[in-house]
Amino acid sequence: MSHEPPVNWTAADDRRVEDAIRRGATRRDLLRMLMAGGVSLAVGGSVLTRAGRAMADTPVSGGALKVAGITGSNADTLDPAKAANSTDYTRICAFYNRLTFLAKGGTLQMELADSIDTTDAKVWTVKLKKGVTFHDGKPLTSADVVFSLNRHLDPNVGSKVAKIAKQMTEVKAIDPLTVQITLAGANADLPTILAMHQFMIVADGTTDFSKGNGTGAFTVETFQPGVRSVGLKNKNYFKSTGPHVDSFEFFAISDETARVNALLSGDIQMASAIDPRSVKLVNSQPGFQVSTTSAGGYTNLNIRLDTDPGTRAGFIEGMKYLVNREQIQKAVLRGMADIGNDQPISPANPFYNAGLKAKTFDPDRAKSLFKKAGVLGTSIPIIASDAADNSVDMAVVLQQAGADIGMTFDVQRVPSDGYWDKYWLVAPISFGNINPRPTPDLLFSLLYASDAPWNESKYKDPKFDKMLIEARGLLDQAKRKEIYGEMQVMVSENAGTIIPAYMTNIDALSGKLHGLEPNPLGGMMGYAFAEYVWLTA
Amino acid sequence: MTSSVFSLVAGRLTATAVTLLIVSLAVFVATSLLPGDTATILLGQAATPDAVEGLRKAMHLDEPAALRYVFWIAGLFHGDLGTSYANNMPVAQLIGARLVNSMKLAGVTTLFSVPLALVLGITAAIFRGTLYDRVVTFLTIGLISVPEFVVATTAVLIFSVYLHWLPALAFANEIHSVVQLLRVFAMPVITLTFVVAAQMIRMTRAAMIEMLGTHYVEMALLKGASRSRIVLRHALPNALGPIVNAMALSLSYLLGGVIIVETIFNYPGIAKLMVDGVATRDLPLVQSCAMIFCIGFLILTTLADIVAILANPRLR
Amino acid sequence: MTTLTQTPAPRRRRFAFNLTGRIGLAIVLACALVAILAPLLAPYPIGKIVDTDYYGPMSGKLWLGSDYLGRDMLSRIILGTRYTVGIALGAVVIACAGGVVLGMAAAVIGGWVDLVLSRFFDALNSIPSKLFGLMMVAAVGSSIPVLILTLAVIYLPGAYRFARALAVNVNTMDFITVARIRGEGPLYLVLSEILPNIRGPVLADLGLRFVFIVLLLSGLSFLGLGVQPPNADWGALVRENLGGLPYGAPAVIFPSIAIASLTISVNLLIDNLPRKIRDRS
Repeated sequence: MSHEPPVNWTAADDRRVEDAIRRGATRRDLLRMLMAGGVSLAVGGSVLTRAGRAMADTPVSGGALKVAGITGSNADTLDPAKAANSTDYTRICAFYNRLTFLAKGGTLQMELADSIDTTDAKVWTVKLKKGVTFHDGKPLTSADVVFSLNRHLDPNVGSKVAKIAKQMTEVKAIDPLTVQITLAGANADLPTILAMHQFMIVADGTTDFSKGNGTGAFTVETFQPGVRSVGLKNKNYFKSTGPHVDSFEFFAISDETARVNALLSGDIQMASAIDPRSVKLVNSQPGFQVSTTSAGGYTNLNIRLDTDPGTRAGFIEGMKYLVNREQIQKAVLRGMADIGNDQPISPANPFYNAGLKAKTFDPDRAKSLFKKAGVLGTSIPIIASDAADNSVDMAVVLQQAGADIGMTFDVQRVPSDGYWDKYWLVAPISFGNINPRPTPDLLFSLLYASDAPWNESKYKDPKFDKMLIEARGLLDQAKRKEIYGEMQVMVSENAGTIIPAYMTNIDALSGKLHGLEPNPLGGMMGYAFAEYVWLTA
Repeated sequence: MTSSVFSLVAGRLTATAVTLLIVSLAVFVATSLLPGDTATILLGQAATPDAVEGLRKAMHLDEPAALRYVFWIAGLFHGDLGTSYANNMPVAQLIGARLVNSMKLAGVTTLFSVPLALVLGITAAIFRGTLYDRVVTFLTIGLISVPEFVVATTAVLIFSVYLHWLPALAFANEIHSVVQLLRVFAMPVITLTFVVAAQMIRMTRAAMIEMLGTHYVEMALLKGASRSRIVLRHALPNALGPIVNAMALSLSYLLGGVIIVETIFNYPGIAKLMVDGVATRDLPLVQSCAMIFCIGFLILTTLADIVAILANPRLR
Repeated sequence: MTTLTQTPAPRRRRFAFNLTGRIGLAIVLACALVAILAPLLAPYPIGKIVDTDYYGPMSGKLWLGSDYLGRDMLSRIILGTRYTVGIALGAVVIACAGGVVLGMAAAVIGGWVDLVLSRFFDALNSIPSKLFGLMMVAAVGSSIPVLILTLAVIYLPGAYRFARALAVNVNTMDFITVARIRGEGPLYLVLSEILPNIRGPVLADLGLRFVFIVLLLSGLSFLGLGVQPPNADWGALVRENLGGLPYGAPAVIFPSIAIASLTISVNLLIDNLPRKIRDRS
């Protein structure tokens, strides 16, 4: 391939150029920008060709798409309510549809819904599209939507979003194509919430989900939990835009190196979630490239505020100064991250408070704070596990910084197996791992409200709770942004959750695969890529 | 001769039932000791107390674990392996195709590695102390001391990524001809041969050397018997007991221990299924897999003992 | 190294090592020395990020390059020696001593002792090491002694089966029958008649088991059993830097070489022990 980038060109630079193109920069603007940075005209041109490749193509039909995810087990499911990880998300996105869909840039689009309207953010009217059918031929009606939403409230279902669905106090059919959703309190985010993977629409009365009978772009040909799934193009798909490929096979290769090798050898066309260290390898091979998504997922260090040493004044603040965010971003995540400022809203989110700066690495200040807390010279255990991505490496960076100021951190690597049960939310200091979520309300309600189910640091503030409810019901986005901005400051200053960086998701793909775009719900177009991408020979 | 083999097999069959029971009890205790149950694991981070309680009830996990275990054992007598907690599918169905895959891989590896190991082990013993012996020792130890995942990954890098000769993944469902079988199995089998052959080569060599040093082999040598005759007629039969036992141990690894090969080549076998079962606390699945590994191991060791008896007239 | 120091100090001739044996012994002793002096030898702290690059090349500053975080590989290998050599040696001695003693006892005593022991170890061998490792973490917690014990238990059944097979073979020999007729007890038979006659293969088995334990060690460390960050044994070093393999990074090559040279040396040493120690008298 003649489009070789300059030697020290990184994927992050590609990302910057691609972002600039998306913002509307012309080729001439970009070349001027690159040449100002000392890049020759010829090289600059090839960089732009690379970056522009994915954006200027027209779809072609046909081909067998094979993609490898990162995790798979006997617990793989096609039940949207139980969907737990990227593998489940990818499959249900291929076989089902949601009422709404978050497209690139976080813009809300209608999928099965034709419109969603409200006057008070409390009572919502959902109109469904006409002529949509399930794979078994049954037409989509309001009864299916009522069934799909209500089943999250049934504890026997084991829904992952039971807590979120709880606010839907009544879901009823008005006519065959109209559903009315009544909420316990006003929530302007309902259309975005309905774009979450678990809220996929299934057929009324379904009990056996292994058939994957949805309205989605592919019909289930094979589904073997822990082995693979194969979907065939849905000939009756209600969208005219897709799918482009004839079949879609998905399976997990949990070993990262093996996943990248499978891509480079041509066995698959995309390998999801690769290590930043593999980017150089993928880019060095002709005909392969990486696609990056900043969705805002993170690994954080949680110090409980209700137990020693988190109760000691100054300890948590000291830890916030001792975490070397820059080193974590550079050495652990190899630049594939944005530096975090200890609150869950990432720069990828429109509600991000850009005025809130991250604390700088200041070991001397940390030392005096630890002295004040009376912990200097003691040994503090920190629980890390491979269950929380990169947490062991982050712990080691912290441990080293501690060693330099006379602070001993006893890093305990514990098994991934049972981690969320036994250590997370339990140990005084442990790591968590939070997946991207589309709205500030979801993140704050799940993680920081006084009654939050995953209140990682046991943060409790009645004022915060009041602001959360107030912002939830507001339809005025500017006012919301102001409140959410203030809440970010509160969490950043007072909670015991240290969020050093928001991680970038990196997928590696063959040059034959086109049409992949970044998405706020996560890598691989929020896992919904299968119906949007196409293959060329 | 046949009578001693017969009584051994009869004795083993009774013992097998006891061994299986011990294994299933041990697996039950081990799994109960692990934190969490299937409901909390499936819910993961979403495991709020009422969600866990609801799911437990729906999955019938609210009954005491010991009771569920007893029911599973009772079902086993009717040939029912139970239903997976994690996905509600019959365990027999989950295991079926994957057990066949595992047996295929184990079979091909055995066919390849056993003759190789016997030849290298015996010749190394005969030429003990020579350069040949040292080279064989050096290579066998050198090869097993490289971790399996490095061998497998290096093989993939060379043969799939750079040379494009072989597929990087072993798609078990795409085997329709002998050529495809060879292409798919080439790298997994080579990797596994590295792992299992070394033990067999080393033990064959050691047992043979031991036998070649005994008095009656020396006697035969004095009587003027030829070297190959001594090795094949006198030393080998007597050394066969330890050798086949070492082989049984090595080959038993091929059923349950090939997790790394299954993961790297994405080969759907039974080892990964069991590891998944442990991770999801799917007791019927874990139990069934453990039973299969145990039966496989017992068959191999019983065969080894039979061979030992047949080979050594004094044991009859 | 305990097995070696327990054997009589090499005296001239009868206990002399041949050249290969000497090379093996030298490397094993070198590893032991590095293990003891590790903190003095390592140029950098084990967890310190000293390189801005990852999988860095060999250089004057970082002799063996840098790892995936940019830490000095030489220091990590030197400090890992202790864990690799110490833990593997402890585990292999317990596994083999236990297995051989019980195996010989089962063969000599026979009857129900043999039956019970054999079935018990068959059952133990059928329990996957991962499940066993996880159970140990859950039940007893994580520490180096627990790790050693876990490794020993995992490899004991194999040592038992092999020793028993050897002993059963020897047990049928005429001189054993003679000894039995003489009225010797099982202890005498085991120590004076059987052990000397199965020593060679048992030592070979020990050498091999040592290799397996070195390799499994890293797997169990990754489960969270035993060696804790920033420390790592050699196998764990290979594992955490596996991503460097496509780049041919020294970070993955040198720990592999370290493992191979240690394990090959141990086995060469065993193969070339002085005749006096190795063979029947």
